[in-house]
Amino acid sequence: MESIIVILPLLVKMGIVVAVLLLLPLPLTWLERKIAAHIQQRPGPMRVGWHGLLQPLADAIKLLTKEDHIPMDADRLLFKMAPVVALVPPFVVFVAIPFGEPVQIFGSSYTLALSDMNVGLLFILAVSGIGVFGVILAGWASNSKYAVLGSLRSIAQMISYEIPMGFSVIGVVMLAGSMNLSDIVHAQDGLWNIVYQPIGFFVFFVAGLAEAQRIPFDLPEAEGDLGAGYHTEYSGIRFSLFMLAEYVVMVVLALLNALLFFGGWLGAPPFLPPALWLLLKTGFFIWVFMWFRFTFPRYRYDQLMSIGWKVLLPLSLLNILISGIFMF
Amino acid sequence: MARSQATKQGWIGWIFFSDLAAGLMLTLRYMFSKTVTHHYPDAEKWLPYERHRGHHFMKTNDEGDVNCVACELCSKICPCDCIIVIPFEDDKGNRRPQVFDIDLARCLYCGLCEDACPADAIKLGREYEMSEISTGALVVHLDDLVAAPDKARDGGQLVPARLIPGDNPHSEVIAGKDGRDWWRSIRRD
Repeated sequence: MESIIVILPLLVKMGIVVAVLLLLPLPLTWLERKIAAHIQQRPGPMRVGWHGLLQPLADAIKLLTKEDHIPMDADRLLFKMAPVVALVPPFVVFVAIPFGEPVQIFGSSYTLALSDMNVGLLFILAVSGIGVFGVILAGWASNSKYAVLGSLRSIAQMISYEIPMGFSVIGVVMLAGSMNLSDIVHAQDGLWNIVYQPIGFFVFFVAGLAEAQRIPFDLPEAEGDLGAGYHTEYSGIRFSLFMLAEYVVMVVLALLNALLFFGGWLGAPPFLPPALWLLLKTGFFIWVFMWFRFTFPRYRYDQLMSIGWKVLLPLSLLNILISGIFMF
Repeated sequence: MARSQATKQGWIGWIFFSDLAAGLMLTLRYMFSKTVTHHYPDAEKWLPYERHRGHHFMKTNDEGDVNCVACELCSKICPCDCIIVIPFEDDKGNRRPQVFDIDLARCLYCGLCEDACPADAIKLGREYEMSEISTGALVVHLDDLVAAPDKARDGGQLVPARLIPGDNPHSEVIAGKDGRDWWRSIRRD
């Protein structure tokens, strides 16, 4: 009986998070297409539902009913594993993300996080680093030159950008004195971290774009030169799993930007619940990612590497140095 | 990098990404500008100008006879051989077409028949909704050509329209001809 009281809220929270994450790509693809369209003075999808709102549903039905094709010489086991390996880490990241203060329901307190662990930030960085394995496996197992090239680029890019990303949050951790995300948010009670850590935010944002493989760093799936990159050979539901993973990674990064540098759920206007305020901030960052996507061209491979190693890494180290001097 | 640094912004602008910011501002302005897509055939339809080469029609003279003298010049000049003209002598002793068929499935709407015609008979108008279920239905005959609408006097506007359901899915103009000027609303900066 005791254990049920502990497990039941956990299961409910888990169910909500997983359901929301599985359904989230539907509005996000719609939003992405709408933003793309309006930047190009088009209305975008208009015919399925009101202003094309049901378009992603139609696309989902199309994707799920398409033939699930596996190339003849592909490594079947890895080929089938890869989409799942790519999808799981971004979902697991949500274990450590808090969405607000603990709430009181019927006299008992529930945290708005699956696990408010004390090494939350480290956990998030570590788990999201696993995500690259899905891409590597997909590229390798497809037995296709485009897929391999895409995954090779992806490996190099992920490794290069994980380092400045990790360094850039050290400043935040120094300010909060904790790796717990709730503590980090509480530490921003007076002023948001963006004021103290502009360089850290810049490095985190750019490295995050690269981690999420968004334009201008979407070399792993450069349509122009690689067909579709690492998921060239994928179709049907496996392809949609990759798409899902991509969108969830984008949501994670937007959430982290909001939590680490923009005060999380703090500073909500009185009429808004704090969790909704956090989601609004996240939505803003998602919009910015999409806005970037349809503004900038893709960087060349050598430019990508030099931005990562020659610009972001020194900047993140400099950020640590400056934060250290100021705190001392 | 070096080039953009040299041109206009200077190194301070380069450090603060003034070129990227300019690009972002441009797309932001576009994001909130009006779209110019024609909602065809759901809500509106574009009316082409008089010069548009759309449907074929045949002109008639004051006595109600077709202008065509069945010289077959249109048939000769047609680059895709889609006009069949068979002449005959009518009651008044004039040379007229007995058969004047145009296969719209093959026609490329170049308008050479219009140019070649010495009798001001075959013309191209502005109707462009000619979809049919079978290609056989796309062959228009002399009586269809005579009955087809004349050249337009106006054009260039978007007018309200809707799709007519059924086996002849043409859109229909349902309101006046003073539509919006989409050409002016295109953003150009």
